[in-house]
Amino acid sequence: MSSEYLGEPFGESKSMYSGHNEALIQLAKGNEKVVVLYADFPQGSAGPYYKKEFPDRIYNLGIAEANMITVAAGLAEAGMIPYTHCHSIFAVGRAYNQIRQAAFDRLNVKFVLCNTGMFWTFMGGSHQVIEDIAALRALPDLALVSPSDAVEAKKAALAAAIHEGPVAIRLAEPDVPVIHKDDYPFEIGRAVTLREGADVAIISTGIMLHYSLEAAALLAKEGIEATVVNMHTIKPLDERVVIQVAEKTGAIVTAEDSNILGGLGGSIAEILSENHPLPLHRVGVRDRFGQTGEMEELAREYSLSANDIVQAAKKVIKRKAV
Amino acid sequence: MVHDTELVRKLEEKAKLLRRHSIEMIKSGGKGWIGGSFSEAEIVTSLFFHHMKHDPKNPSWPERDRLILSKAHCCEMHYAALGEAGYFSQEHFSSYGEFGGVLQAHSQRTTPGVDYSGGSLGTGLSFAVGEALAAGIGARMDPSGRRIPRYRVYCIIGDGECDEGQIWEAAMAAAHYKLDNLTTILDRNEYQSTGAVTDIMGTEPMAEKWRSFSWSVLEVNGHDISQILTALDNADRTSEKPTVIIAHTIKGKGVPSFEGRVHFAVMTDEMYAEAMAALK
Repeated sequence: MSSEYLGEPFGESKSMYSGHNEALIQLAKGNEKVVVLYADFPQGSAGPYYKKEFPDRIYNLGIAEANMITVAAGLAEAGMIPYTHCHSIFAVGRAYNQIRQAAFDRLNVKFVLCNTGMFWTFMGGSHQVIEDIAALRALPDLALVSPSDAVEAKKAALAAAIHEGPVAIRLAEPDVPVIHKDDYPFEIGRAVTLREGADVAIISTGIMLHYSLEAAALLAKEGIEATVVNMHTIKPLDERVVIQVAEKTGAIVTAEDSNILGGLGGSIAEILSENHPLPLHRVGVRDRFGQTGEMEELAREYSLSANDIVQAAKKVIKRKAV
Repeated sequence: MVHDTELVRKLEEKAKLLRRHSIEMIKSGGKGWIGGSFSEAEIVTSLFFHHMKHDPKNPSWPERDRLILSKAHCCEMHYAALGEAGYFSQEHFSSYGEFGGVLQAHSQRTTPGVDYSGGSLGTGLSFAVGEALAAGIGARMDPSGRRIPRYRVYCIIGDGECDEGQIWEAAMAAAHYKLDNLTTILDRNEYQSTGAVTDIMGTEPMAEKWRSFSWSVLEVNGHDISQILTALDNADRTSEKPTVIIAHTIKGKGVPSFEGRVHFAVMTDEMYAEAMAALK
């Protein structure tokens, strides 16, 4: 087991935003270029802090996501490091063009995609953006990061500040168990292997990581040893680790809270089919829109649960034996 | 303030020269946005060759005034001004529209002196709002505790472009944040890609719209250098609100056979000859 994660039982459940806001506060003091922008989005602890200490570095642009994102691009042109905050559906959906323009210019904007993926539980299908990974992955020069817990969300926001260029950070809404230790070294583009096993590899991103680790523990009880990779950066994707675990295990399951079409599953399938074809099963949203529900209800309905990952692992192991 | 007639005459000559550069560029590239480039000629000239604080030898000088050309398809006039000012060699004019050239079909930040890559209409004003906000961040304060912005931002938008909702999102934000270091020049040439602005989407009453968005509104003849310079000075002196200068212009101004009708055109030999004769 990697020393980078707490191991099981997991830590307490926490919101990714708590980690993200801690990072913004830390950055406020340490980096005078950091500016925070909101499209009428809750500001958490960062809001009152900036308003009190750095009032000229916080702006609420109202319910106008497209404008906010291009305003951020203008700030970045002038040397600032803006972090934009809005619901992911409205960043990816309404302001795709504006994100694209910032990426085209490699401007130093950090797009925080709030409440992304299938697990914006209460809000339902109109708000659950399942196409975020596919849409953003197709943009050259944009880094796409998908943290799995509060610790990683904090590290992702800190790392984004020193990454020269546009970065999108996916944050999911539900509180999730803390998986990582505080001193875990996070680097954009470097996948982390949390657990080693020779039978199958689970490559997971974002909020699916705790399900993936839970699945590995369930598999272990049945004598199946799984590798678990935390693919926290979807782009640039750590292809080296993908090929490495493919060679080692010969069977792969991917896990994401987004559409598998063009998502993490799509990316891994592309790499494997070109480099190392092997049995692959993609756990993720299978090209359907979402609906209102509790996290566990949604996980069951859309086959995103730990049990779904277990079944997928067994399936690919079986296929590898043929 | 009344401007020196000699200055105005020199700038008028400069505008004519920029038109000639644009025509040469469009001839080399085979096609281009003659109409909207020519309607903005006096505006661009007044900004680059008199009003704006900038240094062609130091294009990334942090305290330079910014020009955001939101109607970035009308880049030929922008390129002409940049080349004439010395941001890059005028030899590049002939590579406009060429594969691998410095001068892309829409102005782009990879060209020296260009701060904003356009092409998607309606977004430049938001970019200008970001630039204008940045000018005040961490800047020194006046005795009343207000930040003194380090530079001014000028944003040229088109009237057809005002169909885009984001223009009005940006207009609200600029007024909300009292961005008095932001001057927008609206090139009111009355025509857009497929016809008259008024036929395609009613944008009148234009001045009232901006006024109701809490902007200071000035109207000028956009081909009268003296009026443009005075309006730019007045905008600089306006406090607590952004200014829009509605510049009434003529598409293709400067070449009688182009005026009022040419938007995007393939440059024929005949058109080239007419243009060069008119711009002597």
